[in-house]
Amino acid sequence: MITSRKLDLYPILWRLPLLVWQGLFFVVPLAFMAAMSFWLVKNYRMEPAFVFDNWSRMLGRGAFWDAYWLTLGRAALAGVLATVIAFPASLFLSFRLSESARRFALLCLIVPFFTSFLVRAYAWQVILAESGPVNAVLGAAGLGPFTMLNSGFGAMVGYLTLVLPLVVIFQTWSLAAIDKNLIEAAGNLGAAPLRVLGSVIIPAAKTGLVLGAVFAFIMTFGDFVSPFYLGGSKPPTLTILIIDTTKSGQQWPRAAVVAIVMILTLFAVATAALKAAYGRRG
Amino acid sequence: MAEPLVQFRAVHKAFGTYVAVKSLDLDIHRGEFLALMGPSGCGKTTTLRMLAGLEQPTSGAITIEGKVMNDVPPHHRDTPLVWQSLALFPFLSVVENVEFGLRMRGIGTKERRDRAMLWLDRMQLKGFEHRRIDQLSGGQRQRVALARSLVTEPQMLLLDEPLSALDAHLVIRMQGVLTRLQKELGITFVYVTHSQSEAFAMADRVVIMGHGQIEQIGRPQEIFRGPRSRFVAEFVGRNNILAGQVQAGVMQSPQGSVPVGAPDGPAEIVVAADRVTVSRDRPAGAAIRAAFLSEEFAGTGIICYFETPDGAEWKAQVSESQLSDLQAESGQEFWLSWDPARVHVMG
Repeated sequence: MITSRKLDLYPILWRLPLLVWQGLFFVVPLAFMAAMSFWLVKNYRMEPAFVFDNWSRMLGRGAFWDAYWLTLGRAALAGVLATVIAFPASLFLSFRLSESARRFALLCLIVPFFTSFLVRAYAWQVILAESGPVNAVLGAAGLGPFTMLNSGFGAMVGYLTLVLPLVVIFQTWSLAAIDKNLIEAAGNLGAAPLRVLGSVIIPAAKTGLVLGAVFAFIMTFGDFVSPFYLGGSKPPTLTILIIDTTKSGQQWPRAAVVAIVMILTLFAVATAALKAAYGRRG
Repeated sequence: MAEPLVQFRAVHKAFGTYVAVKSLDLDIHRGEFLALMGPSGCGKTTTLRMLAGLEQPTSGAITIEGKVMNDVPPHHRDTPLVWQSLALFPFLSVVENVEFGLRMRGIGTKERRDRAMLWLDRMQLKGFEHRRIDQLSGGQRQRVALARSLVTEPQMLLLDEPLSALDAHLVIRMQGVLTRLQKELGITFVYVTHSQSEAFAMADRVVIMGHGQIEQIGRPQEIFRGPRSRFVAEFVGRNNILAGQVQAGVMQSPQGSVPVGAPDGPAEIVVAADRVTVSRDRPAGAAIRAAFLSEEFAGTGIICYFETPDGAEWKAQVSESQLSDLQAESGQEFWLSWDPARVHVMG
């Protein structure tokens, strides 16, 4: 059958603003950054060029790869830790609360975002300080004092502060949406409570669990507040590396290299995760 | 008679202030097809769920094979249930769904696959084992749910309105599948439904429930022809109820005086719609006068609706030729008569 392919302007008209927005503020800057990664810096000024100097210097440096694996490792650990820590809370919110109580609890989880993350990170500086309340309590029990700031631990506290509420929200959404009959059916077919969790609840909520972990990964991967204010910047993460690179000698092109590697990494992780979250066997 | 498989003794179940089941006494025998029937909210599903351990009785005892089951959790019971929504696991394939119960019982990979395949074959689902649930038709899903519940060879199967989501022609076919299966396996089926046709077509015994209590237990025919209460008479079949005072074999009712085979005193009689004769002239015997309202095609005949002078609705089942002979028009008055020997006296 031959259908006349008339160009329908109406839907295109409505999509246009979004396309223009995305083009102007996402594609163009991205292309600009990609182009910039091939430029040169002379006398603290950028000059358009097409050299691979920035790429070979950055990727050839051991320090870059140290930062890369550190960032990747921390992001993965934060994704796992956030998922594990959030899960019991999400189970409670999903299965022990009434509909209205759950809605209120989820609302409370949004409240932390009313405060700038920077402020929350500063709050942790006070709490985790050598002379802070945590060490005071531990000291009373004859422990410590512990150095918690300016360490990987401090950074991880920051990462989890950033991502935990979101991960709980993702998990709760998918757990609360599970058909309760499936859970009853599993028990009815002989599954003890723990096996119901493993064989029905987790597979049925897979999408939300994976998306929560990926969000934690993405946000941790790109966070600079936690490693800067709570992690002590040493060893540097990729975000710290970008700051250092731009500060020292206006090396924006080299920072662009780091940023592009980060974007490619996130793209690969997000693609794999979405496939895992929505993919089905068979 | 042998000891019943299941005994409910003074079982009471309340959700907060709402009483779902009241002092329920019920025996379920080995190998019988028992239907729990009643309108929604009558407690039939709660009764079934208590048997499966999905709800705990507030008081009273439920025993299975003489053992009190009140505190036995669902996964330690052998009471598989087929859900109204079927509750098949969407993240598992057809064969993995069927295997689930065997996997939970720790049966090895090879044996459980073999046993699951045997049941898929029996349910005519061979070739579908690796499909996803959402790739199956309604009837196929139904059979997967049955296979999943029966693969562990339970002594009873519980079914909660499993056919209510199916098309009419599939319901008839699945009824055949279920009755055949129950006879072949020889196990107990406890079947919850609000559908009279499903219950009467399949069950050996029917339990009519209303307001959390048992109204009547009996074989389908007994209940159909001999409802013991107004509730049952109104719920099953197309029945007309006449209430009044009997004196010397004649009942004085708001609809008129009719001869009746009942002792003196207050009485209620049930006249089934298919036993009412419609005529223009007054016949001898039991008859009341009523105005024709409308007719409704009901497959096996035509149901005519009438209204008596005091406002009661009466139903009469007639054939198509009878209806055309009557030339009934809305508002016209007719005589509704019956054989006094073929009515049921309640109480």
